[in-house]
Amino acid sequence: MPIGVKVLARPIDEVSYVRAAVKGMALTFKHLINPHKVTVQYPEHRDPLSPRWRGTHRMLTTEDGTAKCVACGLCPAVCPANCIKLVPGEDENGNRYPLVFEIDEFRCIFCGYCQEVCPEEAIHVGRHYENSEYSRDGFVYDLERLMAQTHPVCEMWDPADPKGE
Amino acid sequence: MTEGKMISVTIEGRAVQVPEGTSMLEAAKVAGVLIPHYCYHPGLPVAGVCRMCLVEVEKSAKLAPACATSVAEGQVIHVHSDPARVARQGVLEMLLINHPLDCPICDQSGECELQDYTFAEGRKDSRYREAKRFNPVEDFGGDVVYVPNRCILCTRCVRFMEDVAHDPVLNVSERGDRAVIGKFEGQDLTHPWAGNVVELCPVGALLSKDFLNKARSWDLDRSASICPNCTQGCNTALESRDNVVVRMRPRPNEDVNKYFLCDEGRLNYRWLNRRDRVEFPHIRRGDALAPAGWDEAVEAAAAALRGRRVHVVASPSLSNEVLFQLAQVIARLGGTGVFRVRQGPEAPLDGVPGLSLRADRAANVRGAELLGFRRTETPLAGLANGDALLVADEELAGADAASLAAAAATAAAVVVIGTTLPSWAMRAAVMLPIANMAEEEGTFTNVEGRVQRYLQAKAAPGLARPGYAAMGDLLTALGDQTVNVVPSDVFRALAAAHAPFGGMTYEGLGLRGATVSAQAQPAALAAAT
Repeated sequence: MPIGVKVLARPIDEVSYVRAAVKGMALTFKHLINPHKVTVQYPEHRDPLSPRWRGTHRMLTTEDGTAKCVACGLCPAVCPANCIKLVPGEDENGNRYPLVFEIDEFRCIFCGYCQEVCPEEAIHVGRHYENSEYSRDGFVYDLERLMAQTHPVCEMWDPADPKGE
Repeated sequence: MTEGKMISVTIEGRAVQVPEGTSMLEAAKVAGVLIPHYCYHPGLPVAGVCRMCLVEVEKSAKLAPACATSVAEGQVIHVHSDPARVARQGVLEMLLINHPLDCPICDQSGECELQDYTFAEGRKDSRYREAKRFNPVEDFGGDVVYVPNRCILCTRCVRFMEDVAHDPVLNVSERGDRAVIGKFEGQDLTHPWAGNVVELCPVGALLSKDFLNKARSWDLDRSASICPNCTQGCNTALESRDNVVVRMRPRPNEDVNKYFLCDEGRLNYRWLNRRDRVEFPHIRRGDALAPAGWDEAVEAAAAALRGRRVHVVASPSLSNEVLFQLAQVIARLGGTGVFRVRQGPEAPLDGVPGLSLRADRAANVRGAELLGFRRTETPLAGLANGDALLVADEELAGADAASLAAAAATAAAVVVIGTTLPSWAMRAAVMLPIANMAEEEGTFTNVEGRVQRYLQAKAAPGLARPGYAAMGDLLTALGDQTVNVVPSDVFRALAAAHAPFGGMTYEGLGLRGATVSAQAQPAALAAAT
C-alpha cells in the first residue's frame, strides 16, 4: 500500500454476524410464543384514563339546564393560550350570563387553569380524548356544544390527597 | 391650610415636608405610601366613618384615623406596623361580614377597593357563621342602580350629593347592621352630575346601568382623553374593549374638573363607535361617488379647491391642529371659515366653582374662535357663487333640504372631510374619510382657554386617516411647502402662527394642559373681513 494503513486483526468470534442474528431471532421467536401485552384492542377495549386527565372542555349546567357560567371573565383572563372568547350579557331576570362563550380547542393547551380558576365550577376539562370533526371550524366549541358534552370531567386533585403527596 | 409653614413628619421611615394642616393620608401620598381608605376622597369633605385608615403614631396612646388627623411637627407614623395592620384587618373582617362574595358577577370586580385591600392585608377566611344580611337591589333612578348587600356605608355618595351636587337625595337609612343608603321619598338620582357616585363608590354597591354586565375592568384598554361633549373640557379616560369604547370616566385634573364628569358627557360616547363610517376616500365618477385611493382623492380635492375662494364649514369638535390646517387652506386660497355649535341646557355642579355642563355642546369652540373661525347659526350663508364649499366633519344636521340644494347649486365644488357621508354629501366632488376624536390624538381648547391633549383610544375604520394627516396632505397638494403630518409638528406651526398659543409645545402640554395667554386677541382669518 502506498500509504501506511494499519490493518487490524479481526478475530472471527468477535466480528461474526451469526451470533447477533441468532440472538435477535431468539427474541423474535420468544415474543411469538409469549407476546408482550402492549397492544390495546382499541376501540373494543379502552384503557381507563387517569382521573386527572385533561381533555376537551365541558360546561356543567344547573338543574334547570342553563349553564352554570356567570360570565365573570376569569377563564379568558387566566388562559395562557388565549383560546376562550367570552362576551357577558344580562338575561331578563337581570342575571349575568355568557352571551358568547367559545373555546378554540385547537388553541387550547389543556392546562386546566380555566377549571381551576372557575368560581362557579362551570367550565371543566374533560376525561376524553376522541375528538374528530369534519372541519376545522368544528373545533371552536360554542356554549351549546360545551353544554351538550357528556363525558366525565377532570378531577383536578384527589379529594383524599389534595396536595398530591 | 396655612400658607407657607411646612411641617416635617416621618412616614414609614420616609421624611417628608408638607404644609401645615395636611392630613396624614395626604402626607403619606407625598411620601409615596398608600394608606388604605374607603370613606376618604380628596374631592369630598372628610367623614372618618370607615376606620380603615387607622395608623400608628409614635408616642400616641391609640391609633389615629389618617384621613381626619392633621400632621404635627416631628411625628413618626407607621402605616404597616403590627397594631395598624391588625386594626385594619379587623375592619376588613367586619366589612366582609355582610358583603356577599359575588365578585364573579360584580361589575366592580378588578377595580374594587374592598377586593384590593382584602387581598393585600385581609384575613384569609371569615369567622362569621351566621346568615348574611340581604336587601334587594334598588333602582336609584338616573343611570345608577344600588346593590345594598355590597355597600360598606362609606357615605361617599351621600356626601357627594349633599356637599358637591347640593342636591341631598341620598341618606343613610336605618341603623346599626340594618343601615343602608336610602333615597328620600319621591326623589331620584336625576341630578345631571349624579353619575359620579358610581365612580366614587369604592365597592360595587352603586353601579352604572349603562355599563352593567358589559365588560370586566381588566379587559379594558384605557387612554387619557378629553370629554368631547361640551366646551368645559373635562379630563376623561376612554375605556375600550376590542376596539369599541364601552365607557368614559373622569380623570382627575384639579384645574378643570377635579374628579367629576357629568352624566351627559359620561354617557355620550356611543357616537365614537358609529358603524356608518366612511372607510375609503371617494371621488366623483359620473353621477356617483366611487372609492378611490388616498393619493388620487387628495389630488382631486386639491384640484376642486385650487383657484377658488373657499367657504369652510368646520365642526367645533375638530382638534386645534385640524382647525389650524383648515385656516391655512383659507389663508392660501382666500375665503371664510364658519362653525355652528349644537346647544343644550347648561348644568352647573354647584360645589365646584367654574365646573358646569356648558350650553355649547362641542369640545373646541374656543379653539375655533381663537383660530379665526366665525360662529354662526347659518353655516351655509355667505357662500358666494363660484366658491368652493369645504365641509369638515360637519353633518349639517337639521339644515333644510332647500338651503342645502341651494348651497350645492351655488358652490362650484363641494369637498367633504368627515367621518360619515350624510345624504347631502352625495353631491360632493371628493370625500376624505377622517378618524373621529377617539381614533386620533390632538388638542382641544376649552371654554377657559385651556389647551389640553387627548390620546388615541381605538383604531380608525378602513382607510380613514387622522384629520391632521389628511389635511397635511391636502395642504401639500395645494402647494404648501411645510409638510406637517404629525400632530406635534402641526401644533408647533400653530403655536408659531397664533399669539394666544405662543410658547406652547405639544409635548409640554402634558396631560394637564396649559392656558392660552389671556391678552392675546383671536386671530382674524386672512380673507374673512
